Amino acid sequence: MEEKILSEKESLQLISKMIQNTQKNLENSDGRPFLIWGYTTVFVSLLVYFTVSQTGDHRFNYFWFLIPLLGVLAMLFTRSKGDKERYVKTFLGNIILNIWVVVGIAALFVSVGSFFVNIPVLGLMLLLMGMGTLLTGLTIRYKLIVVSGAVGMLLSALPFLIHRMEQILVFAVVFVIMMIVPGHVLRYQNRKSHV
Amino acid sequence: MFKELNPLLHSELRLAIMSILISVEEADFVFIREKTGATAGNLSVQIEKLQEAGYIGVSKGFAGKRPRTVCQITDRGIEAFQEYIEAIKSYFETGKES
Repeated sequence: MEEKILSEKESLQLISKMIQNTQKNLENSDGRPFLIWGYTTVFVSLLVYFTVSQTGDHRFNYFWFLIPLLGVLAMLFTRSKGDKERYVKTFLGNIILNIWVVVGIAALFVSVGSFFVNIPVLGLMLLLMGMGTLLTGLTIRYKLIVVSGAVGMLLSALPFLIHRMEQILVFAVVFVIMMIVPGHVLRYQNRKSHV
Repeated sequence: MFKELNPLLHSELRLAIMSILISVEEADFVFIREKTGATAGNLSVQIEKLQEAGYIGVSKGFAGKRPRTVCQITDRGIEAFQEYIEAIKSYFETGKES
């Protein structure tokens, strides 16, 4: 592209092409955050379930704190080369980031609080994560994410009904439905659109 | 009646830069270069011209060890872009009338 003087028609075409091109690039999520947080949560849930149920030692519940640690590390290390090199901040991206910062802080309060007060932590976590997912879906107007977030919120009732260790397994299954499945669908669609 | 087209915006690369920046909150030099396909030298010159006109704000910093130049459109830039679109529209409307 050079410093060329354009005709009026060419100007309009260029404006619309640039705006479309920028938007298209930004809307094409590859589902990476959903996959990272989904798999991390499922992995840690199973780890807690097996260690606590095998040993009977509830101190293994501290493993839950691996979720934010592993999740953040995976998010940092799986960024593509292009993402590391270029920087762009969008209005939508900012809203989504704020949603998850608020959800993350609330989740931290709930998980730390559960060590001091007896609260149904897994049900509350699913409710919070379902809300975050639903709000993300509504913001980016992506039906699958809206549905998976709403389903996650509905299924957050399950751990409230199960009072044994098995609620951890239910928690993991809901994460598969709420994050891993839509994450893979997004990834598949993203790859298909780049072929 | 044709409205006068802002000569600062009526150039391919500067218009492309403004079109990108109007659709995002801010973007760095690498992103703009990727989207426009312009050479680094030419892009720097055009960014400087837009900055001098007060149409975009430019901040230089670092991302880790790499230098990073971040650009964002200013209120004055948005206004100029809107006026430019209005002026372009007048060409097409006059064309329809005649």
